Amino acid sequence: MSQRRVAITGLGLVSPYGGDLTDFFTRLSAGESAVRYLLTEDQPRPLSIPFVSCPTFDPDAALGKPLASMMDRFAQLGMAAAFAAWDDCGLPRKAGGESRNDWGVAWGTALGGTLAYEKGYRELWQKGRERLSPLSVVLGMNNAANAHISIQLGLGGVSMSHTVACASSAIAIGEAFRRVRSGEATIMLTGGSDVPQAYGVARAWEALRVMAPGDAETSAHACRPFSADRRGLVLGEGGAALVLEDWEHAVARGARIHGEIVGYGTSCDHSHLVRPEAEGQIRALQLTLADAGMTPADIDYINAHGTATTEGDPVEIAALKTVFGDCADRLAVSATKSMHGHSLGAAAAIEAIVTVLALREQTVPPTAHLEQLDPGCAGVDHVTTARTGQLLRAALSNSFAFGGSNAVLAFRAVAQ
Amino acid sequence: MDSIGLIRDFLKDRLGVEPENVISGALLADLGVDSLMMLELMFEFEDRFGIKLSSDLKTPRTVGEMVTLMDGLINSQKS
Repeated sequence: MSQRRVAITGLGLVSPYGGDLTDFFTRLSAGESAVRYLLTEDQPRPLSIPFVSCPTFDPDAALGKPLASMMDRFAQLGMAAAFAAWDDCGLPRKAGGESRNDWGVAWGTALGGTLAYEKGYRELWQKGRERLSPLSVVLGMNNAANAHISIQLGLGGVSMSHTVACASSAIAIGEAFRRVRSGEATIMLTGGSDVPQAYGVARAWEALRVMAPGDAETSAHACRPFSADRRGLVLGEGGAALVLEDWEHAVARGARIHGEIVGYGTSCDHSHLVRPEAEGQIRALQLTLADAGMTPADIDYINAHGTATTEGDPVEIAALKTVFGDCADRLAVSATKSMHGHSLGAAAAIEAIVTVLALREQTVPPTAHLEQLDPGCAGVDHVTTARTGQLLRAALSNSFAFGGSNAVLAFRAVAQ
Repeated sequence: MDSIGLIRDFLKDRLGVEPENVISGALLADLGVDSLMMLELMFEFEDRFGIKLSSDLKTPRTVGEMVTLMDGLINSQKS
């Protein structure tokens, strides 16, 4: 079967800044952090961490109360992002004359409905109740988001979720891309969502000693990828979605094409659960370039995984230097997690959108708060303030997960 | 609260059904109560009145049947 070109015709997310997608990208380009200080009322000890929330997101208003009440927050964020992306692609939510039986959903989530289960444990163990709502199962299941999306948009093809820690939605997008490219699916709705504010989850991450500290004064600057004084990552909640569409189908219906997805590669370090290894990342990068039919010289921007952990950042730069060789010095790199945080299963989808917008708008958003570069992270062109006026033809987005799973996506600019 | 009040509150809250449409002859399915929502409604009822419903209970079809069922259970609980 001949390979199909894959257009990106819809982009949507729930912005932590509260505005629309244009506003989101404008703020990122301005280096504005969405990280805030989070102080909860949890017992026995409140969470007191820098965090990224979507405080203005109102599930009842966005989805209607009946639908919202059937979902955990991760599915609410996912559904809202999916609706936004779908509306953006210009197709009606209800199927018309065209069959949607080969249109599907591939969704990423690391935690799924953990929050719903945690609520259940609280009911049982803290409040002494003996029973739980029968809805707990459908609220908590990991595939709740993709199931709701398929139902709401009438998509009769594959509906699946991918749980690969921090690479969940990169792999979801990659697998969706392959299905459209192969001709199996005309359209795939893909992306990811997660809500890491479950008390047990946030505490577990704290115990790993990879979370940046911060208070009301300092939280906005808590996440400093590649910086000599970086202290770790900042968790956040989020939902982001993309519509991937058969190129000819998109052109035939006159859809706006934001960009083209052209490559996907994935690998496993197969060495350690949490210590990343350049060799595995190099293989994922090389596989992606080969899949896209590109060479390092074709790539003008990398949206880095860049979580701001002590161990992770230099390994990623080492991998880039190996793959890009002589081109590394002029390779524009930024880690936008410095501003939108690390939303686990939503992160790669948010960053895929940022990468597509960077190509569409010909603007590289910066790594925020990078004042003094760690010498261990030197060797690429770190972008620290938004850059325009430099031709951006193609870009990669990296996602390197705990468990050693690596996924890289390649995108190409499309004349607007 | 009585049975009809509970049903009206539940349907308004969960499905956005206006209370005046929740009348004796209305089919629960027409009001948007599917099998899952029925389980949740039963759960809420058990919770509110401290009753455990038998698992071989015949599923009510109309609002009226639901009210009769609930009232019967409440009364047998009292006696």
